[in-house]
Amino acid sequence: MSMAAIIVAVLSFVLAALLALMMIPVLVWLERRGAGLMQDRLWPNRTNVGGFRLGGVVQSFADVVKLVMKEEYYPSHIKMGKWLYMLAPAITFAAALLAFMVIPFADNIVIDGESLRVQALPVEYGIFWYMAIGAIGVVGIVFGGWLSHNKYSLLGASRAGSQMLGYELPLGLTVVAMLITYNTIDFNAMVQWQSATVFGIFPAWGIVVQPLAAVIFIIAMFAETNRAPFSVAEGESEIVAGFMTEYTAMKFAMYFMGEYVAMNTASAVIITMFFGGYQLPWVSTGYLLENFAIFAAVMMPLLPIGVFYFIRWMRKNNRVRASVSSDGGRLFETKVFTIVLTIMTLIIEMLLIYLILLPSDALGTAIAVTIFQIAVFVVKLMLFNLFFILVRWTLPRFRYDQVQHLGWYYLLPLSLINIFVTALIVVGVS
Amino acid sequence: MLENSIFVLLALFLLLGSAGMVGFKQTLFSAISFMMAMLALAGMFALLDNSFLFLAQIMVSVGAVVVLSLLVIVSVNVKEENLPKEPAKFRWMLFAVVLVAPLAIVIYKALTYMPHTWAKTGEGYGSLKMMGMTLFKDWVLPFEIVSVLLLAAMVGAIVIARKEPSNDA
Repeated sequence: MSMAAIIVAVLSFVLAALLALMMIPVLVWLERRGAGLMQDRLWPNRTNVGGFRLGGVVQSFADVVKLVMKEEYYPSHIKMGKWLYMLAPAITFAAALLAFMVIPFADNIVIDGESLRVQALPVEYGIFWYMAIGAIGVVGIVFGGWLSHNKYSLLGASRAGSQMLGYELPLGLTVVAMLITYNTIDFNAMVQWQSATVFGIFPAWGIVVQPLAAVIFIIAMFAETNRAPFSVAEGESEIVAGFMTEYTAMKFAMYFMGEYVAMNTASAVIITMFFGGYQLPWVSTGYLLENFAIFAAVMMPLLPIGVFYFIRWMRKNNRVRASVSSDGGRLFETKVFTIVLTIMTLIIEMLLIYLILLPSDALGTAIAVTIFQIAVFVVKLMLFNLFFILVRWTLPRFRYDQVQHLGWYYLLPLSLINIFVTALIVVGVS
Repeated sequence: MLENSIFVLLALFLLLGSAGMVGFKQTLFSAISFMMAMLALAGMFALLDNSFLFLAQIMVSVGAVVVLSLLVIVSVNVKEENLPKEPAKFRWMLFAVVLVAPLAIVIYKALTYMPHTWAKTGEGYGSLKMMGMTLFKDWVLPFEIVSVLLLAAMVGAIVIARKEPSNDA
């Protein structure tokens, strides 16, 4: 193992951990922000550390501090299995986190003729790993719900279990159809397959090639992650908080954070399988490597313009009403961010100039392409997380029998037909 | 050396899980013991460098079998005091151990008499492609017979679970 391989492996692991864990406060903030937007009201936006509000993200950290400081409380009726009662949320959280580790963030980076995977776990059975590890998450929910010795928790646990069983089938069958299409179980090979075009015009993304499978997969993912409109396991209106009813403090926070990690993982899997992963449409990695100088030349003027408008937007909006005397450090925050953003833009511009003037620098170009693809991946990930949040605040929760009906009567036969048609077409084409 | 210590750890978990599966009175703890044993078994497959069996083991045993048995446990939800009384449980278990002991000795003898050579693994060992090739080339008849059996079981389950036509019409 060369030095470069070790560095790439460590950096991919750090990136995966950061993307999974640091996304939690951002997603919690985005959820509240999205709820405020959809319901025409404000969001938690006052909490700050020395004037820094980050638009309200700091509130998520304040919540974590509050949950950590809370009293470690056990309901007195829980006589046996306290250790398992403690462990259950950790199982759910760990399963969601581990499932995220096989997502490729960029194409294989070639350093000195050595092809290195930009994946936290450099394995080639990505989708299998996701299906296997993702299935363990519900075990934690059922344990927690049963050990709470509470009828509401029990109902929530049984709902979570049966819903997961009902939707695991269409999910797995859709994956089978996609495996027939892509002829691989490797996430990275799937993304490479998607960088081609269909009919010479459309990008060969999964959603273009297999629209029905994409719809079924996304619906099943909503159900798998217990997100609204499939959040019957929590169902505040009927069963208090479902399996989380008896949980407090950090034990509750583990379930809560696990839900967001699972949602983030689901978004990552969806964009990797159906939305071209880290690729821009029509632009394959090879093309990007050859012509990165052109990309750099296009990005050079666009980046400062974008940053300029962002700073102007921030200066206009990051202030208090005129009637309020103290601005609570907001002007200071704006000033610091303006300076930081300007310096970052300057550094990136200089790197781009270097890449334009020295296009023969293979290593520099490879690293730049990898960083560019990671940026594309993160943008797509955020867009899909936003989609999850917007759906949650748009649709009301389904009734429990409707959830089961949809899974067994519609999605399951549709996914079976989809496999049949896919197999016919694939055999016919080849 | 590392392989040995991992193997010993996995074997320990496997044995503990199996013992817990039989020994625990409350069904939920039996279920988690079973899950532990199955995960340890998956770890054994991973140790043998067979990534497909490793993941299939987790997917089938934990994702399907354990979740289904948990669903049954949650639906039935037996109270502690309603569980069957088993006063001489450990005496019976000891009796069973004594009964199985000769068989264990036979297996141990057989294993120690086996030659200490290891099978060579070919190209692409443990991969999905090789697995599919083996299943659909060499073992296609047993594979198809098993799938017919599963289909029959599924149809039978649906027939049993179907609603009876109501008599009061």
